[in-house]
Amino acid sequence: MLTKKQKRINWILVGFLLLLSLFFLFPVLWMLANSFKPDAAITADMNSIAAFVPPVPNGSFFENYITILTNTNFVRYMANTLFYAAVLILLGIVVNGLAGYALAKIRFPFREQWLLIIMMLLIVPTETVITIHFLIIAKAGLLNTVLGYILPMIVNPFNIFLFRQVFVSLPDDVYEAAQLDFCGPAKYFFTMVLPMSKTVVATVSVFTFLNVWNDYLWPSLVFTSSDLLTAQIGLNSITSNDNTTMGQTLAVITLVTIPVIIIYSLFSKQIVEGVTSTGSKEG
Amino acid sequence: MSFIEFKNICKKYPGADKNTVNDFCMNIEEKEFIAFVGPSGCGKSTTLRMVAGFEEITGGELYIDGKKVNEMAPKDRGIAMVFQNYALYPHMTVEKNIGYGLKNMKVPADEIKKKVDWAIKILGLEEYRLRKPKNLSGGQRQRVALGRAIVKNQKVFLMDEPLSNLDAKLRVSMRTEISKLHRELGATTIYVTHDQVEAMTMADRIVIMKEGIIQQIGKPMELYDHPVNQFVAGFIGSPQMNFFDVIVEENRMKFSDGKQVTLSEEVVKKLNGKQGPMIFGIRGEDIKVDAAGIEECKYEQEAIITDTEVMGNENNLYFTFGGSQAVARVSKYGVHDIGDKIVFGFLPSKMHFFDRETGENYAEIN
Repeated sequence: MLTKKQKRINWILVGFLLLLSLFFLFPVLWMLANSFKPDAAITADMNSIAAFVPPVPNGSFFENYITILTNTNFVRYMANTLFYAAVLILLGIVVNGLAGYALAKIRFPFREQWLLIIMMLLIVPTETVITIHFLIIAKAGLLNTVLGYILPMIVNPFNIFLFRQVFVSLPDDVYEAAQLDFCGPAKYFFTMVLPMSKTVVATVSVFTFLNVWNDYLWPSLVFTSSDLLTAQIGLNSITSNDNTTMGQTLAVITLVTIPVIIIYSLFSKQIVEGVTSTGSKEG
Repeated sequence: MSFIEFKNICKKYPGADKNTVNDFCMNIEEKEFIAFVGPSGCGKSTTLRMVAGFEEITGGELYIDGKKVNEMAPKDRGIAMVFQNYALYPHMTVEKNIGYGLKNMKVPADEIKKKVDWAIKILGLEEYRLRKPKNLSGGQRQRVALGRAIVKNQKVFLMDEPLSNLDAKLRVSMRTEISKLHRELGATTIYVTHDQVEAMTMADRIVIMKEGIIQQIGKPMELYDHPVNQFVAGFIGSPQMNFFDVIVEENRMKFSDGKQVTLSEEVVKKLNGKQGPMIFGIRGEDIKVDAAGIEECKYEQEAIITDTEVMGNENNLYFTFGGSQAVARVSKYGVHDIGDKIVFGFLPSKMHFFDRETGENYAEIN
């Protein structure tokens, strides 16, 4: 039961946090409102509160968006990124999940040392290994191919660690019961382990999606063909084009941002649960 | 050949000094209900897990239905198992949990449905069939685990402390259900428990283990009336058998506090010439209080009651005698209070004498 004083403090805190969230929302609101305006209106509204207010819907309300979606390859870039994300989510769950399972449940020599090495990899920044990745992919003749882009992205030490932390708390007797129910190890992994660990699967999927969606450096190194480009590179090539207006630039940025916001709002609960449950034993 | 044969089975974990299970030998006949009992760490669960194939057998040979199974995968041994923590599949409904094994065995769908319906009916799970394990009580979960075991028509049932997570009342009702299932299905059953009441009430034969070694195998009443050593005598029975340090000289038994009891001819004969220091054991119900009318019993001892336990159907009277705390079980009509003096005697035919060093029961040594 909260006392009157505690309630008052709570209200003050809520008010403060609302104000703070507005502070972070301003750029997003500004981007959204101006993405529907022609450049002249954007410039005119720049120094007033109207900069945060979208125009009254009329015939040209979606013009910036229509231009981007029809005159550029942006839809293609979005589709490419969604495809890469889907493939990497699937492969990432299988490969990192299996590695996490082995580290959690299978006894083999130096298991703990392996885990330590994988955890040490967490502190290595991607940028330091990207050159090596590039050289290997180039040597394998996989530059400018989907495979060349995807291969180095599959294994992720952080995801292995997340899976391992959740799998370690799975009861062993369920595996034993499954064995007596004629369920082999592979079937057990896909039909028991993954469904029993839905939260971490959701977390890893969202992290992988965000990683692929926001990645700029690696696809910019691997891809040269415009048919294979991702949304972020597409965004860069569209916005750096002299013919692109400010309104169109804001529209394309909005389009790139929307999936991230949708995914995060849909799965934020699972992400929090997934990350927090990795440190505790599930009941 | 017996249905299950343990031939000198041993289990030694890597890095351990001694065997967890040592030289385990026994034969189990078809349709028998065998209980493995013993305190924690006695090797009973390890032995069961070796039968299941979840633990490697490091020595000896194990035969099920005439086939050596040492190297055989668990699924090929023809066994079904019920686990202590149920081990249900949390993301599957009750009916899917029960039918999962059959599905993997490629049993036709209509037959799976028939078998699952049958199991659900006999286990009284009709209204829960579409629920997931998290929405079931402990007893319901255990029934689902039983259902999963019985639908597969396996020859051997292994049960690893299946009732230990249930409350006392539910445990009694599940005990009856398991016994009934065993009678109906006739599968050979090995049941591991640390609860001697479960073993006594359910099993055809009981195996008592201590530190990986079989202490005694026998029918429940054989173990109760003729324990081969002090450990078995103390483990079976509740309250446990009373033990006193005594010195036997000819037909006199001297207690550590100087009290003496004259031994009957029958008892002296049972001792077969053994004299000197030993442990005298007698069960609470074989201490006859207040001239209970049994002729062979001499009512010549006295004690003051220090505590009582009213059990409903009987009373337990605690008193100090011969330098030890003792308990006598009397009928519910034998009402006594703390501080009351009782006169009692030991039933000669139920007196046990154990070696102080080895714990062996002198009367059971052949």
